[in-house]
Amino acid sequence: MILTLRVDDFLRGAVAIPTRDLLTRPTGAAVRGRIVSAIAAAEQPTACLDFGAVGLIDFSCADEVVAKLLRVLATGRYVVLRGLDDTHAEAIHYVLARQELSVVVVPRDGGWDVLGYATPDMRAVLEVVYAEGPGDTDRVARRLDWTPERAADALQTLALRRLVLAAGGTFAPLPVP
Amino acid sequence: MRVVGVPLYLDDKGFDAVAGGLASWPPEGPLLLDARNTKWASPYGFAAMLSLGQALRELGLARPQFAVPEQTETSSYWATAGFFEHAAAMFEVRGRVPRPKRGPASGILLPVTQVRASDDVHDVVERIQKPAAEVFKQLHLESIGAPRFSMALSEACQNIIEHAGTGGWVAVHSYNYRRRLGRRAVEIAVCDPGIGFRQSLEAAEARKWDDRWGDSAALEAAVVHAVSRFRDPGRGQGLAAIKGYLLKWQGKLSIRSGTARIAVVPPWDDDPALERGLPHFPGAQLQIVVPAQEPPTA
Repeated sequence: MILTLRVDDFLRGAVAIPTRDLLTRPTGAAVRGRIVSAIAAAEQPTACLDFGAVGLIDFSCADEVVAKLLRVLATGRYVVLRGLDDTHAEAIHYVLARQELSVVVVPRDGGWDVLGYATPDMRAVLEVVYAEGPGDTDRVARRLDWTPERAADALQTLALRRLVLAAGGTFAPLPVP
Repeated sequence: MRVVGVPLYLDDKGFDAVAGGLASWPPEGPLLLDARNTKWASPYGFAAMLSLGQALRELGLARPQFAVPEQTETSSYWATAGFFEHAAAMFEVRGRVPRPKRGPASGILLPVTQVRASDDVHDVVERIQKPAAEVFKQLHLESIGAPRFSMALSEACQNIIEHAGTGGWVAVHSYNYRRRLGRRAVEIAVCDPGIGFRQSLEAAEARKWDDRWGDSAALEAAVVHAVSRFRDPGRGQGLAAIKGYLLKWQGKLSIRSGTARIAVVPPWDDDPALERGLPHFPGAQLQIVVPAQEPPTA
């Protein structure tokens, strides 16, 4: 169901010197290119990018690896991030929020979170979907005491941003490791 | 021969005096940079002085002479800071050049280092991490964290690669910033003699600014409005991120380009936010100062 890609694996060979740090746009572009190829070749629709063995990430590289990846992701493909430390999360959140992009992350202590752009409505609905599993608009509306239209709008936004899976009127959390 | 006196203190303001002493750009005739009486140089001073040498070399002009500081303590520090290692390729160095001290030198987190490509940035950040972590403990900057400082350093260096059109120089020191701050600080200096902000942004921005367009407008566009010459939506955020950090850390960011300087000025400093009409110097010279989180020293 889920393809796990260690980001540090893609760093090897992208930089002439041995390093664990994701720095600079050229490095980020090289790493993203390899990740895009790996995702395209995989059977699983969801890829989990594991940053656990990555050292630093600067803002430019975060933009190249994560923001641009989200922009070029093929239809039906999803991305989740895990293994982020505080400064990784800070850099990624910063570049995504500025471009109104969002991604689901699995924090080091488990659970889920979203980095980047997220309205209070988006967060509230994500809480329901990730806590209670697949469900439809009515379930979310009842649970949050919202109108069905408001719940539908938020769910649709989450689906378009690929933060949830949508199929046949049911919205499900992305499979997280 | 034009003799340009290097001031007693070769920092950002001291280098303005050097640029003014050149009288024109490029300077006419043979040049002597006289640092015999100079007592101290900041990372900015080292990186900007090497940018001057690099600019003259890239223009194919005669190598200027450079008179070494006479105080042994000063010249020894300059040697350990890596200045003379690179200066020899750009200047005719006059005077006794001491050997660099071996081992870790007090306050020098990164000797002045050339930045030309992405791999240089990786190398610089790799080298800075351990000394930065140690100095951040001494300066009570644990809440900021050395990784964020390294991220700011990386972004600053990338301005050279992405925008200068040539190589440049980076240096990082910690020192007692008595004159302006009254306590210790860490300084990053990243200088290049490249095309500068005005030329970099001209095609994308000049029309919008109409007759206001110039060095100061280009700096304002980049630093205040996070404008980049690239059209990608994610561009222009490196400087914006550095600025955000420095606002949190009560640090200072200043960038000089051409005849202007823009600064994000913390409460402890009284520099103007924007200066125009400075003596022209090519490229971009960036300085980041992060003050220690400790009571001022007497």
